[in-house]
Amino acid sequence: MSNKNWKASYMTGMRSGLPVILGFVPVGIAYAIMARQAGFSVLETCSMSIAVFAGASQMMAVGMYEQGAGLIAMIVATFILNLRHLIMSTCVMNQMQDGSTAGRLLAAFGVTDESFAIFTTESKENSNLMYFLGLITVTYLSWNAGTLIGAVASDFLPAIVTASLGIALYAMFIGLLFPNLTGNWKLAVLVLLTAMCNTVLTQVMASSWALIISTLLCAFIGVFFVELDEEKEEGNTDGIN
Amino acid sequence: MASTDIFLLIAGMMAVTYIPRAIPAVLVDKMKFGSRTEKFLKLIPYTAMAALIFPGVFLVDNMNPIIGIAGGAVAIVLAMRKCQIMVCVLAAVAVDFVLYLFL
Repeated sequence: MSNKNWKASYMTGMRSGLPVILGFVPVGIAYAIMARQAGFSVLETCSMSIAVFAGASQMMAVGMYEQGAGLIAMIVATFILNLRHLIMSTCVMNQMQDGSTAGRLLAAFGVTDESFAIFTTESKENSNLMYFLGLITVTYLSWNAGTLIGAVASDFLPAIVTASLGIALYAMFIGLLFPNLTGNWKLAVLVLLTAMCNTVLTQVMASSWALIISTLLCAFIGVFFVELDEEKEEGNTDGIN
Repeated sequence: MASTDIFLLIAGMMAVTYIPRAIPAVLVDKMKFGSRTEKFLKLIPYTAMAALIFPGVFLVDNMNPIIGIAGGAVAIVLAMRKCQIMVCVLAAVAVDFVLYLFL
């Protein structure tokens, strides 16, 4: 970590989180509308976003609730769907250069697909706790803002805007991933392999398992042929800031 | 279901979501990984993002695959030119918006 003070790191992290707002607010609204339709009160709808902070599993849970699923079934399904965060949090914590256990336990609450993707493609200079906390402040607030909007005001966004924003998080992942592939064709091959692997696996199993298996299996295969710049000094900071 | 059941559900979901996120926060610091494992961990962001993008991006709009393909293609082109993330996101959203005007 450079000698930047913690506040500067926090602000840099917040700035890196800005693209997530475009994805999280509409999805938060969609979740809240689903929850209200399933019979959740405004308090219950918002409490779930505050306490759980995991979009896909919240949507799944309210869907299951509406179909009359049992408590244990919904909790087990959530566990399976979010098991990928065990892998993602391992990468985040491994990359984080500093932070007390308490600080890291706080950071862990904000590990999502999006914060993981942004943080692990960052340069070493930004691989610190305060940067991550700044990042997840923005993702957490936008998820809960979307939830609140959807819970009390229903959908104020025109349908065409909501539909168009559906691409936002994919575009963000693309913007984080693809700059790393120019000039490293072996990594590009690995990404292509993973994409094909996951596409095949999602045909034969639940997508949450497919994602875990293709992520781990292909990273394992990659160990034997991909070369990484050990110092990710350049990273894609120009892409993020 | 009564209202209390929902809060029980929220508590249970919170536990099973937070625990997998928190285990590495406690353990990773205390572990020393070998260079092979370190490389494996460094590759995971790339494979995980590949799996998060594909095949999901093609299914953004189940009725109209063109929405995902066009938006994704625009994002890829801009990303390869090292555009800012926000530019990639806004351009992809804008292209899909225009497409929806014609669909």
